Amino acid sequence: MATTAAPYRGGERPNIPSAAKRFPAINDYEQVDREIAGTLRPTLGWFAALGIAILCMLIGATTWTYQIHEGLGAAGYQPPVMWGVYIITFVFWVGIGHAGTLISAILYLFRAGFRTSIYRVSEAMTVFAVMTAGLFPILHLGRPWKFFYLIPYPNWRLIWPNPKSPLVWDVFAILTYLTISSTFLYIGLIPDIAILRDREKNPVRKAILATLALGWRNSDREWRHFTRAYLFLAAFATPLVLSVHSVVSFDFAMALTPGWHATIFPPYFVAGAIFSGIGMVFTIVIPLRKAFKLEHYVTLNDLDAAAKLCLFTSMVVGLAYLTEFQVAWMSGNKFEQDYFWNRVFGQWAWAAWIMLICNMILPLSLWSQKLRRNPMWLFILSIFINIGMWFERFVIVVPSLSHEFEPWQWGSYRPTWVDYGILLGSFGWFFMWFLLFIKQLPVMAMAEIKEVVPPRMKHGHDDDPHNLAAGTIDPDITGVAH
Amino acid sequence: MQGVLGAFHHIDSAVHAVEELKKSRVGDITVYTPTPRHEFEHALEHGPSKVRVFTLIFGLCGVTFGYWIPVWMSDYWPLVVGGKAIASWVPFTILGFEVMVLVGGLATVFAMFGFAGIPRLTMTVGYDGRFSGGHFGVWVAAEGNDAATAESILKKHGAEEVRRER
Repeated sequence: MATTAAPYRGGERPNIPSAAKRFPAINDYEQVDREIAGTLRPTLGWFAALGIAILCMLIGATTWTYQIHEGLGAAGYQPPVMWGVYIITFVFWVGIGHAGTLISAILYLFRAGFRTSIYRVSEAMTVFAVMTAGLFPILHLGRPWKFFYLIPYPNWRLIWPNPKSPLVWDVFAILTYLTISSTFLYIGLIPDIAILRDREKNPVRKAILATLALGWRNSDREWRHFTRAYLFLAAFATPLVLSVHSVVSFDFAMALTPGWHATIFPPYFVAGAIFSGIGMVFTIVIPLRKAFKLEHYVTLNDLDAAAKLCLFTSMVVGLAYLTEFQVAWMSGNKFEQDYFWNRVFGQWAWAAWIMLICNMILPLSLWSQKLRRNPMWLFILSIFINIGMWFERFVIVVPSLSHEFEPWQWGSYRPTWVDYGILLGSFGWFFMWFLLFIKQLPVMAMAEIKEVVPPRMKHGHDDDPHNLAAGTIDPDITGVAH
Repeated sequence: MQGVLGAFHHIDSAVHAVEELKKSRVGDITVYTPTPRHEFEHALEHGPSKVRVFTLIFGLCGVTFGYWIPVWMSDYWPLVVGGKAIASWVPFTILGFEVMVLVGGLATVFAMFGFAGIPRLTMTVGYDGRFSGGHFGVWVAAEGNDAATAESILKKHGAEEVRRER
């Protein structure tokens, strides 16, 4: 069985999802169901990974309990740096959550073929990343049990949150994003849950799946409304992706702090979020395609296309880094210039250079097609991107707060074991949900992959199923080219 | 509900059967496909989905509510921030946009549920588990002579299995 597809050459358009190019080793619908449903069987490796994730999550939970008992002073906050690992990690996870909706919604609207096999994983990643991110503003509160004060509802306190505050915008943006991305994930899952329901033999599991499938029957009426609703949800989710990280960037840009008060922040944050999200997609998808033996679904062409997107966003992020320096240089503002000098050659040079090397320099390797088509290199690079993007947020948060306008506002920051414990716990929390997801529900959209795979036809084409791409064989039957 | 159910393994056979059933007007036709297929949409000639009407109406309601709530909150508990107006429409656009997406998006989903007739509690008549796998199903709601005609058309076009259900 072929596990890869040949590179596209000679002016072919890789995003047009013809079956022969997209999935050369997939012959029929039954094969899709069999192979993807087959990934749901738990394995020893999966149990081991889940155990490690739960352990990390418990370390985080225990550390948080300790912090609640001791107070926020247990974390590494030290005036003037009163935002630290929690806010950095909040922005990091929100960023990770962006690639999912980018891949599932924006690439859907652009009809990008390589999206089909990776979007389910990305969507799930989005939901779990936003669930993780949402914990951090609460962790950052001195009295976390009062977090609901930010939600506007009629209350006995007779006070309302200030709607001009970026923190209130965050609440609206993150909750909307979590709701819409979870809905988008679930709606896309319904036809696949119906497939699992129809294949299931265990009555208990069948009943659960039947409930989750909502009685879906694959009728023409259901598909007609489903495809429209999915399109409109994608159209809503697209500006939502751009808005959410813009709103997160306002948490910084609305302050007068050097290094933060810049109009470049919203596009800079959005590009960074997409870049980091694609990095995490590689981190997850590459081992997954190997472990589940799904290399003929996530082909090298798919990885190649995603790597190009990664390269593009890396260059946008790199341009934003350089623009920040240029703006500081040309502004004539001494505080701004001092801050950027301190960032890259002073106190925080080590963090800034980790960021620049991981996010700007290493991704340039993706100009090479050979490396774009090398899963091992993409995986290694993705780890560097994850590290680099965490440090990008470190470089945004800490150097600005530790080097404001006057010398008494100059200080340092050193995270404690509490910060590291909660950071580790966030990874445990994220991977715990993700690992549970991949063994309960299909990691690839079976119904959507079947759209690309040619259906069986009685007249004439069974000798080469790849010639059966709709629209090329029998226009009388296919009607519209896909 | 009574009718005839045909299961096809080949899409072209199923499409031809649907076309002939439509011409012979024997009853309402429902087609089951493992994935959305435009061939059947054309054969069945259904109009566009009306989900979009709900998306538009509830999106507009959402944006109105999203602007109204911060205006009301600011008026109820006035805080002068940076010398800006109490009801500042520029920052409130963020809330207006987010609530538009939230309400419009959820309304789209509920409209889809309503039009598609889900959640459905029973699915014993006119469905077969194979239709989510690799088969195409054609259900004709018909009785008596119409059912017999439908049965013969389905068989003529090569249905793997034809059965009457009630």
